[in-house]
Amino acid sequence: MTGKSNGRRVNRLDELAQSLPPPRDLWPAIAAAIEADRAGAPSQSVPRRTRWLPAVGMAAAVALVTFGVFIGRFMAPATTGMTAGTSTTQGSPDMLPAALRDANYRKQRDALLAEVEVQLAAMPAAEREKVGASLKTLRRSIGEIEAALGRDPANALLQELLVNSCQEEMRALTAVRDAGSQET
Amino acid sequence: MSEFKHLNHAALLLIACALPMAAVARGGSIERKVAADANGEVVISNVSGTVDVRGWDRNEVQVTGHLGDDVERVDVETSGGRTVVKVVLPRGNSHDGDAEIEVSVPRNSRVEVSAVSADVSSRGVLGAQRLKTVSGELTADIAGDESEVRSVSGDVTVRGNGKPVRLRVASVSGSLDLTNIAGSLDMVTVSGDARVQMGDTSDVRGRTTSGDLEVRGSLTRTGRVDVEGVSGDITLRLSAADGLSTEIESFSGDIGGCLATSVERVSKYGPGTRLNIRTVEAGARVRAKTLSGDIEICDK
Repeated sequence: MTGKSNGRRVNRLDELAQSLPPPRDLWPAIAAAIEADRAGAPSQSVPRRTRWLPAVGMAAAVALVTFGVFIGRFMAPATTGMTAGTSTTQGSPDMLPAALRDANYRKQRDALLAEVEVQLAAMPAAEREKVGASLKTLRRSIGEIEAALGRDPANALLQELLVNSCQEEMRALTAVRDAGSQET
Repeated sequence: MSEFKHLNHAALLLIACALPMAAVARGGSIERKVAADANGEVVISNVSGTVDVRGWDRNEVQVTGHLGDDVERVDVETSGGRTVVKVVLPRGNSHDGDAEIEVSVPRNSRVEVSAVSADVSSRGVLGAQRLKTVSGELTADIAGDESEVRSVSGDVTVRGNGKPVRLRVASVSGSLDLTNIAGSLDMVTVSGDARVQMGDTSDVRGRTTSGDLEVRGSLTRTGRVDVEGVSGDITLRLSAADGLSTEIESFSGDIGGCLATSVERVSKYGPGTRLNIRTVEAGARVRAKTLSGDIEICDK
């Protein structure tokens, strides 16, 4: 490092001056500024900042949890909502309609299941056993696909199979329900 | 008073007209015949027993057969090109009355049959047919376009005549056996096996959940086969004059057969195999997908 100090060449660090006085005394201006700051903004400003920071943190955490719950409530049903027989090729619907569709699907399915139970009870034992086994097979298949999707959520084949299987379940349930009306 | 007389006469006249249409019988045999349109519609319903439909060259609908003791009567009514044949059971007894009836219909009629446990068969009808049964077996020769055959637990056997039609076949737990089908076929069963033998076919869509599915035949130049299973195996023996392209995938099953020479893994780390062959740019296409079933494809 080369440079000049006091008009002579400096060859080593210890040759540099130990102190370098400022061209003027800056402290009075600094002290005056601090005093003015104390007078204008009371000293509790700093403690107050430390009081509201945790509150903001808590609020953010609550917001995150709420958002997570929101996603859990609405994102998952959105997926199953599409499996309920709505086309996967229809645009990308926002979450709430998807959730509503899912709720609608579940409601329809539950109503259908209740009617099917009545219909099955009226069937001869052998037929009831055969048809009941088929419906269980469908439900089990849907469960297997869902389990596989849990391990590989982005798998397009599984998504397609799930959609079609749910549609197939509704078709089969409808066929069994309507079986009773064929005698008319 | 004279108005009442007129009303009474009208009522008597109506009853007199209606009586010949209804074969009132508790058990015994039946033989009824009514005039019908050559291209009309015939609707038949029977709960239990059998229904045999026969196409013939007369413009008449004839109903013959035997009725069980629990059958109240068989109504045969015709109006505006529509003939209705209905086996009526006593109120409160909706399942126990057997009726074995044979219904002859004009060959070009559209036919609709509904049954519960009755077996249904149909032969010689050229019009569209809609045949439904819950647990009965169903056997039909299908020649009419836009035909539909459905059962819940009954097995289904359908024979085509090699001419293109649009046909839909569905069952829940029954098996499907379809031969000499051409044109467009849409079939589905949950736990039953499905076997299809096709002539020149333009479009086949099939689905089974746990049953095995087998499709054999030839595809038209632009034919499409789209089949899907969950745990059942799929066997495809398909040929097309100009070759075919395939898009076949199984999540955890195997893909084999004489065309399965370039099966690849879907993922380096996970399960899944697929076979994509493109022998022609535009031509017949085969698409098959399954969760855990095996898929076998061959063009011989």
